[in-house]
Amino acid sequence: MQPDFSATTDYEDGNTPDNTTPCHSSRQNMFIEHSCYSDRHTRNMRFRIATLAVLLACGFSALYAFQAHFRQYTGEEENPAPVPSDADERTEWTFARLRYPSGRYAGYSSEVGSWPTDFPKADRQFLAGVRRLTRIHTRSAEQVIDLVGDPNEIFNWPWVYAVEVGHWDLTEAQCKLLREYLARGGFLMVDDFHGTFEWEVFTQSMSRIFPDRQIVEIPDADPIFHTVYDLETRVQVPGLQYLYSGRVYEKDGKVPHWRGIYDDDGRVMVAMCFNQDDGDAWEHADNPQYETKYTSQAYRLGINYVIYSMTH
Amino acid sequence: MFEFLFKYPPAMFAKGKFVLLAPWPVWTLFLLLIAVAGGLFWFQRQRRSLLSNSRATIIWLVQTALIALLLLMLWHPALSVARLRPQQNVVAVLVDHSRSMGIADDGKPRLQNAEDLLNNQLIPDLSKRFQVRLYEFGRDAVRVDQAKNLVANDNATRIGDSLKHIAAEAGTMPLGAIVLLSDGGDNTGGIDRDAISQLRQLRVPVHTIGFGPDHFNKDIEIVDASVPARALPQSRVTARVAFRQHGFAGAKVKLTVRENGNPIAQQLVDLKPDAEQSETILFNTGEAGAHTFQVGIEPIEGEQNVQNNYVVRLVNVDKKKMRVLYMEGEPRWEFKFIRRAMEDDPSIELATLLRTTQNKNYVQGAEHDKFLQDGFPSKPQDLFQYDGLIIGSSEANYFSNAQQQMIRDFADKRGGGVLFLAGRFALSDGGYANTPMAEMMPLHLTAEKSFSRDFASVSLTDAGRESAICRIEDDAQKNLARWQKMPQVANYAVMGAPKPGAVVLMNVAEQGHRPTPLLAVQNYGRGRVGVFATSGSWRWKMLQDHTDKTHAIFWQQLMRWMVTETPGEVSSSTPRQVLPDDTNVPLRVSVRDKSYDTVSGAAVTTTISRPDGGSDTVELKPDPLEPGTYTGSYSADKPGTYIAETTARQDKTTFGDDAITFRREDGVAENFGAAQNKDLLEKLSNDTGGNYYTPSSAKRLPSEVAVSEAGITAHDNLDLWDMPILFLLVILIRGGEWLLRRKWGVV
Repeated sequence: MQPDFSATTDYEDGNTPDNTTPCHSSRQNMFIEHSCYSDRHTRNMRFRIATLAVLLACGFSALYAFQAHFRQYTGEEENPAPVPSDADERTEWTFARLRYPSGRYAGYSSEVGSWPTDFPKADRQFLAGVRRLTRIHTRSAEQVIDLVGDPNEIFNWPWVYAVEVGHWDLTEAQCKLLREYLARGGFLMVDDFHGTFEWEVFTQSMSRIFPDRQIVEIPDADPIFHTVYDLETRVQVPGLQYLYSGRVYEKDGKVPHWRGIYDDDGRVMVAMCFNQDDGDAWEHADNPQYETKYTSQAYRLGINYVIYSMTH
Repeated sequence: MFEFLFKYPPAMFAKGKFVLLAPWPVWTLFLLLIAVAGGLFWFQRQRRSLLSNSRATIIWLVQTALIALLLLMLWHPALSVARLRPQQNVVAVLVDHSRSMGIADDGKPRLQNAEDLLNNQLIPDLSKRFQVRLYEFGRDAVRVDQAKNLVANDNATRIGDSLKHIAAEAGTMPLGAIVLLSDGGDNTGGIDRDAISQLRQLRVPVHTIGFGPDHFNKDIEIVDASVPARALPQSRVTARVAFRQHGFAGAKVKLTVRENGNPIAQQLVDLKPDAEQSETILFNTGEAGAHTFQVGIEPIEGEQNVQNNYVVRLVNVDKKKMRVLYMEGEPRWEFKFIRRAMEDDPSIELATLLRTTQNKNYVQGAEHDKFLQDGFPSKPQDLFQYDGLIIGSSEANYFSNAQQQMIRDFADKRGGGVLFLAGRFALSDGGYANTPMAEMMPLHLTAEKSFSRDFASVSLTDAGRESAICRIEDDAQKNLARWQKMPQVANYAVMGAPKPGAVVLMNVAEQGHRPTPLLAVQNYGRGRVGVFATSGSWRWKMLQDHTDKTHAIFWQQLMRWMVTETPGEVSSSTPRQVLPDDTNVPLRVSVRDKSYDTVSGAAVTTTISRPDGGSDTVELKPDPLEPGTYTGSYSADKPGTYIAETTARQDKTTFGDDAITFRREDGVAENFGAAQNKDLLEKLSNDTGGNYYTPSSAKRLPSEVAVSEAGITAHDNLDLWDMPILFLLVILIRGGEWLLRRKWGVV
């Protein structure tokens, strides 16, 4: 069953489940009364069942606490790829992709949302690069961090990636979770969002995660651009549409920005690749038409960001 | 009774030698005995029809015993003893007049009891046969004319020094014996072997008379408190406090650490029935500077002596910034979170070297250490400028043989702290077995690879609960509760058993598996080595609220343990930082070069700042037996805190400097050990061939003191054949035979 992200956005407006509708007691309205009671009873039952399920899950978690295993999201994969043999191997790091709700901004991606853009091919292609170019112990398959289904799993993955955040629509609880995650030492890389409108959608959630912090341009001299590769000079990495349109930008996002949010100790917590599409560059690294210079930068930038998150 | 039966006091038998004075050889006695026994046996056999075999044998044995006794008496048994010739020997009588002798145990001060005993009994009795020389002693022995109006006012008791003084005088007089009247409260911690051996050489026995109860009925006394001599600012350190109690078993007392009279740490302790008990208490050292702490137990109602409830201890809190090098072989989360934890510690500078790719290193926190750009240091002078070293997941063969040896020397020779972490390229998994690094670890490595990425729970051992490294909360119970709720670590390596001398602080256990050591430490050479068999403690940060500081506190405390006692090129020390009523301060300085090789021929000078504001200079001399070590001494005449700053130079090279503090206290030593130290007095008398007496049994002393091989002596043979016990035995044996015969109907 596909998750109903739209239902979650109701709560944002302050609306709560309606369990205060008065039920009429007169005989004429017996049917209404019965309906009211049924609705309340059904909701109460669901709540109890959900609570019991949570308690059982907690119990199991306490008994068998472990990092979540690899899981496929068949039916949500935008660009399916073969599952590597080491998909379930426990390693120090792997590509942790955020599964978030798109809500009001689902648009063309309908109920699935935009979280699986380039998924899983981009993830696995990037992992291949990390395995070849660094000493990071990683497996060949990604890990999906499901903000809806299993939000607390995120704390086992101090580096996460979210794509197409110009279409994300986080709940208050999810914003609070991400704030806590980042405050504890987590790192969030966001990518592939373009133009004014998508920036505003992004910041609409981001500003609820950190209402007290500014988003700033990351200076060229920042260590994040020098952990493994020196990337003072950077180009705008386009998405696949570049092959058809000839434009390296999308919408009105003509100028690439590498922005970030810093913590109190001057460390980048959130790194934003705005007006660029590194995900596509990884995904189409094996496409002979996609230019090497974009692929190269995308890999270098991604590796720098991962190493940065593991050293700062 | 003994003397009635045996004619002479026990001391004579203890000191004398048994001899047979008859002109006939001893073998004739045995021959005669055998003949008589044989005769009696034949005689019994003739009369066998009257008794059974066994009864006849018994009668034969009894008769033989009687004949043997009579024959023995016939052979003139005697006791050969050396006895002091009357009026030709000197007996030195030493009376302790230290402050503890002023304690009135039964309404009368001990010194008064000693005076009374001397004047009413001992001196008159001794004077009949010997010349008596009277001394009062405390720090030293001083001759006095009479045992009258002595005052218990000496601040210290040095029995050994006083006895040496008397032994030195023995060369000018025939000293036959020494009588020591004291409560045994020696402040030097015991009588040195030098004093004992001098007396043994002279064969002068020391007879001791002990005053005071061997313990107070109701008292708590601090035996010792040990705290680290040095610490970094705002460090949590452990004070180990040993104390003894009498009369308060089961009571709850407050173990306290005070500074300037204010309590800075306190915990409740249950007093155990055993007399001596040891507890630990953790406290914060505060900011940089010389700190004086009072460590002890708050007095409780009914204590007879409250002056012995606290001791003073010094901690030198150094504001020096310590440097740690962390070598990591692969990017890991543990690396990130360790760096973050240490950013908040102003006393430790963490330099990190991370292998990000096969041929690239990422250096952080060591921008001035250019040698790190080429990788792990290859020269001792480069590595040894750090105070601590952490080795992460880096294959053993990444390090050359020379580097591996250098890592071992880092702890052994340099005196630094080394910590090994687990990982897929570390410990057993990294090929560390059979390397110099394995030899220095506190845990044995397993034969197989053992690194696992399964989550596992940690638990503190008993030692871990008391260790400052694992103390996240000040309160011990809260600390334990916190550890019991700790998130699991992300991985661990199965380690072998701890080595002798290693202390395991933490265990790890995956569900369904038995626990194995996780964190273990040990001293190694001049330094210390630890193994933390995980790289997954980062979950203590990520799985707890962002305000939780558990992870940071743990790592800061672990690193402080690594580096706080790491010496510099010049390292000074003194055996005791607090001198209770003592002036002598031995100084010892170690001088090393940048490779931490010993330096001979350096000019080592210590400048000592006195409490009155003045200063003195001491030039230290090389120790001939220990290259690189320089020694000297200083006399701290006035009470107060002293600061000793040492520099070492050779030609134009300055090796560095170091500072220590020490404190002279007055009027405190006698408050401790105020009960009679009977063990010391008994041992002193046993070691020198003397006897121990109580005031009530001291009346035997004048007769027993004559038994001595010192001074002018004569060997006397004291007859034993006429001992009443022998006549009694004859009657008993004969009477016994008659009773047996009567019982068996043959009389």
